[in-house]
Amino acid sequence: MISPRRAGAFFASALFLLLAVAPGSAAAPGAAARLSGELDVRGLQALLAEQKGRVVLVNFWATWCVPCREEFPDLIRLQKDLGPRGLTIIGISTDFAGQAAAVEAFLSETRPNFRNYRKKAGGDDGAFIDTIDESWGGELPFSVLFAADGRKLRVLSGKRSYAQYRGEIAKALGRP
Amino acid sequence: MRTLKSLILAAGIMALARTASAAVEIGAAAPDFRLATLDGQSISLAEAAKSHKAVVVMFIATKCPYSNAYNDRMKALAASYGARGVLFVGINSNSTEPEDEARAHARAHGHSFPIAKDPGNKIADLYDARRTPEVFVVTPDGKLRYHGRIDDNSEDAAKVSSPDLKNALDALLTGKPVEHAETKAFGCTIKRA
Repeated sequence: MISPRRAGAFFASALFLLLAVAPGSAAAPGAAARLSGELDVRGLQALLAEQKGRVVLVNFWATWCVPCREEFPDLIRLQKDLGPRGLTIIGISTDFAGQAAAVEAFLSETRPNFRNYRKKAGGDDGAFIDTIDESWGGELPFSVLFAADGRKLRVLSGKRSYAQYRGEIAKALGRP
Repeated sequence: MRTLKSLILAAGIMALARTASAAVEIGAAAPDFRLATLDGQSISLAEAAKSHKAVVVMFIATKCPYSNAYNDRMKALAASYGARGVLFVGINSNSTEPEDEARAHARAHGHSFPIAKDPGNKIADLYDARRTPEVFVVTPDGKLRYHGRIDDNSEDAAKVSSPDLKNALDALLTGKPVEHAETKAFGCTIKRA
């Protein structure tokens, strides 16, 4: 039997978590340290629609991709520094379903302050990548920057430094 | 005069750049190559093409999860189409994957088709291959007939709805034109030297 006090604490925690990953808001530090679910192209489009009014950087990564792992801390720093100015980062792991535990372990270790999803299995690989960007051939990391009005602004293939990402995102955010 | 010289130089550089990165077009002659296979043999594409109904050149990797997702499918295709006169050849162009690693990988996955390392990624450059897995199908006349992916679902073989390589081979073996001769290969970048 759960005591009313413990039940209250549980619901408060659940509410906090729900708010922390609610659409339109950046996740609180460490609150997105787990996969937020699986995404197909439609799911990603719905997620982007929810973020209208904010500049969005969608970053595709995988646990086996060393450059992805290397740049991940910079993405966390970018979300922290530029989130208040209107940036939302969405991470999408392209790891296969069999690697879900490795994905969770990576998120638990890095404790990102933005939501991460796994690319949903099934469907046509070609259709998925062409919807994201026709120039993409699966190389990782791969990022797509969207303007606040939802327009695709830039695709960034390969690892980028904090300064390079920041420069591109700052242009999209405009002057503070 | 200086402007003219600069323009000629620039045009020359652009032409060279285009040649270096030009992909082989469907129906065009597939550039020949000769490589030493992991089992110590030598393989020439032109010779192999003449003695088979088709040769499938597959750029593969040992560490790339996308390429590895196809290990069983490559093995099955090589066996079933091998019986029908098609030769599968694996090429590992990744500078990050040494020969012993490629050999151990082939052994671990039971790949009995010939596999060769591509030192200096010369063959990958010749074909402008960018990913693993990425396949090229060459017929006895030395022409490229298919280029692209193995199928449309890297993660789950049971959910494949477009077995593109199989379709291409079936068409070629029955003397029909390949309906989708060019598809987009999806996978890891070839790690060039």
